[in-house]
Amino acid sequence: MSDQAIDAGTSRRLPGDADIWVFVIGDMLIFSAYFAAYLFVDRIRDHALFFQAQQQLSQNLGFCNTLILLTSSLFVALGVHAARLADFRAASRFLELAGASGIIFLFVKAYEWYTKLASGLTISTNAFFMHYYVMTGVHVVHVLIGLTFLTILWRELRGAAIPRMELVEAGGIYWHMVDFLWFLIFALLYLMR
Amino acid sequence: MSNTLTAHAATETTNVATPVATNRKLDQWICWWSLPIFYNLFGLIFVYLGKLMPPPKPGLTTSEIVTFIQTNASSMQVAWVMLTLSLGFASLSSGLIVVQMKRMSVSPVLPYAYLAALAVAAVPGCLLCTIMFALAAFRPDRDPEIIALLYDMGLLSFVGSLGCFATQYMIFAIAIFLDKNRIFPRWLGYMSIWGAVTEMVAAPIWIFKDGPYAWDGLISFYLGTIIFVVWEYFLVASLFKAIKQQPLEELTPPCSV
Repeated sequence: MSDQAIDAGTSRRLPGDADIWVFVIGDMLIFSAYFAAYLFVDRIRDHALFFQAQQQLSQNLGFCNTLILLTSSLFVALGVHAARLADFRAASRFLELAGASGIIFLFVKAYEWYTKLASGLTISTNAFFMHYYVMTGVHVVHVLIGLTFLTILWRELRGAAIPRMELVEAGGIYWHMVDFLWFLIFALLYLMR
Repeated sequence: MSNTLTAHAATETTNVATPVATNRKLDQWICWWSLPIFYNLFGLIFVYLGKLMPPPKPGLTTSEIVTFIQTNASSMQVAWVMLTLSLGFASLSSGLIVVQMKRMSVSPVLPYAYLAALAVAAVPGCLLCTIMFALAAFRPDRDPEIIALLYDMGLLSFVGSLGCFATQYMIFAIAIFLDKNRIFPRWLGYMSIWGAVTEMVAAPIWIFKDGPYAWDGLISFYLGTIIFVVWEYFLVASLFKAIKQQPLEELTPPCSV
């Protein structure tokens, strides 16, 4: 299995296994439900309120976090690449960097929530902030799961004689999905007029 | 000392010789069949009799709540009695899951943690909600404000406790990803993550009385419930496969289990 995976860089093949793609598609559908509730249930009902509330979010912090997650995605991609070349030590180093970026993302998010809460903007302030806290909260849970996933991969790369490549790729796909979901949240909550 | 050893050897020989030993999976199959029985009863209790599913609205006025309790009082009491009698089936199926999880190449802490997490979640998620409705139904003519309080307590504990199940889902997902014996398919682990995340989103029901995040909301209630039903179906199917594929040599004779 892993031999086939290691030289797979040259042949055409679905990265990871079918299972992770089932997960990604399902998770995207679940997030679509949050986006649909935001866009088509509450936002169209009171567009002015949503526009005014949106001004209270910090686009700078949002943009910072976008860059941080993009960087971490790059590290994960480099890690998967190193693992494919059977350089498991380098691969685990890249995963450490990706994980560290994920943790920085969480700190920035915590600071952002703290400033919002300190200025009296809570989940029950209005419908916009309800969606803001739920969506960013669910995304943070995804980041935490992603960090757990990266830890499992790190252990696999360090400990196993022949690391399971499909698991390493699945972890990479999961992390890219977390990154992609943040793009959507950033666009919908912070930027969309 | 030598006597006990001989005695022990003797019982072992008898075990191998008895015909009971030919169906060493009988205990697991009995537990497996308790699953469809329990979930059918569960549906009957929570949907038809208990009136908890689909959940009535959080925004009802006090008098509407009293009417709701009064019209359904006897069926709510029947629901409570049936639940007390049938909840034991859930322990059989949890036991089966633990037996199969112990075959995984993971720390035995995980199956025990799974069991404990389910036991914790069953208290608010199954018992408290039905007992609150049964309690309101016991004296439906008491102070309407107290009836309204019991109504809130029942539904808040029913939907608001979904977060407790998130722990159980996450333990199961982690066990599946760490397991090298592939006892359960990996996609079931991923589905458990959907379960964990959607159940956590029930937390905002403590704040909102309408909209997608209220206790009858599309996201807080329906999304999590749909995923629970789909997950449960695939869990039962995967358990069937896991028992079927378990090699006989792995099983101890029934007498010494």
